[in-house]
Amino acid sequence: MGKKRKHSEANVAEPPKKDSDAPERPKRTLLGWKDPTPTETKEIESSSPIFRNKEKVLVTCSRRISYRYRHLMLSIVSLLPHAKKDNKVESKESKGATLNELVELKNCSSCLFFECRKQKDLYLWMAKCPNGPSVKFMVDAVHTMEELKLTGNHLKGSRPLLTFSTNFDKDPHWKLLKEMITQIFGTPKEHRKAKPYHDHVFAFSLADDHIWFRNYQISVPHNESDKVDRGGLDKITLVEVGPRFCLNPIKIFGGSFGGPTLYENPFYISPNEIRALKKRKAAGKYAKKVKAKTRRKMHELENPLEADEFADMWKE
Amino acid sequence: MVVRKEDPTLSDEDMMEDNETGDLYEEESELESESEEDEDVKLAEPSKTSIYNKDGLLDKLGDISWPENVGWIHKLSINIDQEQEVDVNDDSAREGSFSILALKGTRQAFENLQSMGLPFLRPSDYYAEMVKTDSHMEKVKGRLLAQKKQIEEADERRKAREAKRIAKEVQSQKLKERAKQKKEDIESVKRWRKQRQQSGFSKDNNEADEMSLAFEDGKAFERSNKRRPGVAPGDRSGGKARQFGGNGKKGMEKNKKKRDNKNSKFGFGGRKGLKKQNSTETTDDFRGFNKGESTGNKKRKR
Repeated sequence: MGKKRKHSEANVAEPPKKDSDAPERPKRTLLGWKDPTPTETKEIESSSPIFRNKEKVLVTCSRRISYRYRHLMLSIVSLLPHAKKDNKVESKESKGATLNELVELKNCSSCLFFECRKQKDLYLWMAKCPNGPSVKFMVDAVHTMEELKLTGNHLKGSRPLLTFSTNFDKDPHWKLLKEMITQIFGTPKEHRKAKPYHDHVFAFSLADDHIWFRNYQISVPHNESDKVDRGGLDKITLVEVGPRFCLNPIKIFGGSFGGPTLYENPFYISPNEIRALKKRKAAGKYAKKVKAKTRRKMHELENPLEADEFADMWKE
Repeated sequence: MVVRKEDPTLSDEDMMEDNETGDLYEEESELESESEEDEDVKLAEPSKTSIYNKDGLLDKLGDISWPENVGWIHKLSINIDQEQEVDVNDDSAREGSFSILALKGTRQAFENLQSMGLPFLRPSDYYAEMVKTDSHMEKVKGRLLAQKKQIEEADERRKAREAKRIAKEVQSQKLKERAKQKKEDIESVKRWRKQRQQSGFSKDNNEADEMSLAFEDGKAFERSNKRRPGVAPGDRSGGKARQFGGNGKKGMEKNKKKRDNKNSKFGFGGRKGLKKQNSTETTDDFRGFNKGESTGNKKRKR
C-alpha cells in the first residue's frame, strides 16, 4: 500500500492539474537548473501559468489473470515511467467505488485496470480520476515484449513520440479516446524517471473500428544528438519493440468507473455471445440432418420414380 | 427436437435490448462494418438501442483536455493521414501500414524537434537502463543467428546438390568421350589393317602418306609414370624378384610393403581381379612360403 499522505497534498491533487498553484520552481532539466523565464518564452506561448504535466497512472489487474495478460501489464508498466503498479484487486471490488478510492489513495490521476474474465478474455479500463470519463475496451491480439520476434530495444523511460491516425478526428468518441490516450501514454516531460532522448514511437492506428497499438524503436544514423544530416531523415528505420495489442471500445462512461453511459459500441459482441453462437451452430447439426431426411422423403413421395423397364431383366 | 432460430443478428439485438439502460439521447451511429479479431462475427446492422451522446462526449473532452496553449513538446503527438482502408486480416499489409504511419510521424516529429533545437538522438556513448534486459537481447541475437545459419545451410545444401548434378553430367560426358576415343582407335587399326591387305602388303613409301593413323604420331614408347617403391626402372620381373629379400620383417611392415606395391601398380585399392599373377621368375620362388608353416588344414582361418 502507499505511504500515508498528508491531507494538504491530497488537496493539491484535487484542483485541475492544468494550472500549478505552487510557486514557479526553476525548471529542472538534465543540464542543470534553468530559470523558467527564458525557456518559457521558447516553449509555452502562454504568459503566466506554467503547465506541468503531473500525470500519474495506476496500473492494476484483477485476480486470476493469465500469464500472457500479466506480462502485457508488466510490459506496459515498464514502458510508462509515470505508472505505478499495484496489487491485484479482488473481483468483487472491480467495480466503482473501491477502484476510485484506490486511485485516490495512491495519488494518481488516471488508471489502467486489466480485468481478465474466465481466464480468456481481457478487458482494459482506462479511466481519468476522480471525475473524468472512463472507457472499457476489449483487448485482442496480444503479443508481449518477451517474444523473440520483436527485436527492438529502447531506453527505459524515454519519452515516446505518439502518432495517431487522422481517423481519430472524425468522430467525437474517437477524439475523446485520443485525448485520453495522449494523456495516459505520454510521459510527462519533467518526470523524475524520464530519460532525455526520443528513441521510440507509439503508433495508434484506427482500422476497422479498433485501436491498434504498436511500439517501434527508432534508429537513424547520426553524429550529433540534436541534428540529423540531410539524408538522415530518409534513413530512419523502425524496429518493433514492444507489446502489441488491439483495443475494441465497448462503452464510454461519463464518470470514473461508472456514471452515465456516453457511448456504446453498436457492433460489439461479447466473447461469451460469440462462443454461444458457435455452440448453437454446432448443436443444430443433428436437427438439420433430421430435417434433411424428412425433406428427402417428402420429395420422393411427391415425385415417384417411373417404373424401370429393365428392373426384371436379371431376375430369375 | 426443437429447431432453433439461427439468425445471429436478430438474437443479438434481442440481447442488446435486455442489457440496455437507455438514457439521454439515443442515436444510431453511422453504419460501420466491424468484426472481432479472432471470431469473425459481424453485426450486419448496428444495434438499434446503442447510445451515442455526442454532446456529452464533447463536454467531457473539454473537461479533461489540457489548455490550448500548451506547447507541443508536452504532448509529443503527431497526426498522420491514414486514408487507405486496410484489411485487418491481411497481416503484412496491416503491419506495413502501421509502420508507415509511425515512420511518417517520426519524420515530422524529428523535424519539429530539430527546429526547436532540442537534443533528441541518443549518442553512442550514452548507456542507461534499457527496457529489455541484456540477457533477453542475447536470446534474441541467438535466435537471429540461428535463423541465418539455417538459411545459409539450406543454401549450401542446394548448391552442393547442383554441383553434384553438374559433376555427374560432366563425368558422363567424359566417359562418353573416352569410349568414343577407344572406339575410334580400334576402328583406325582395323582400317589400317584393311588398307594393308588391300594394298597387298607392299611396303612403299606411300604408306606413310596413305596411312597416317591417329595413334602413330611418331611418339616413341613412353614409360608410364607409375613408380613402384623398391623396383628398379629397368626391371622386367614384375617387381617380385626383390620382394622377399629381407626375411625378418614383422607383420605390419610386410603388409605395408605389400600395400605400397599394390598401390603403386594399380592405384589405390589394388587390383580387383586377376589374382593369379606368376611371372617367369616368381613361378619357382618359394621363399615366401615358410617351411612347415602351412602344415595342417589350409582352410583353417589364421
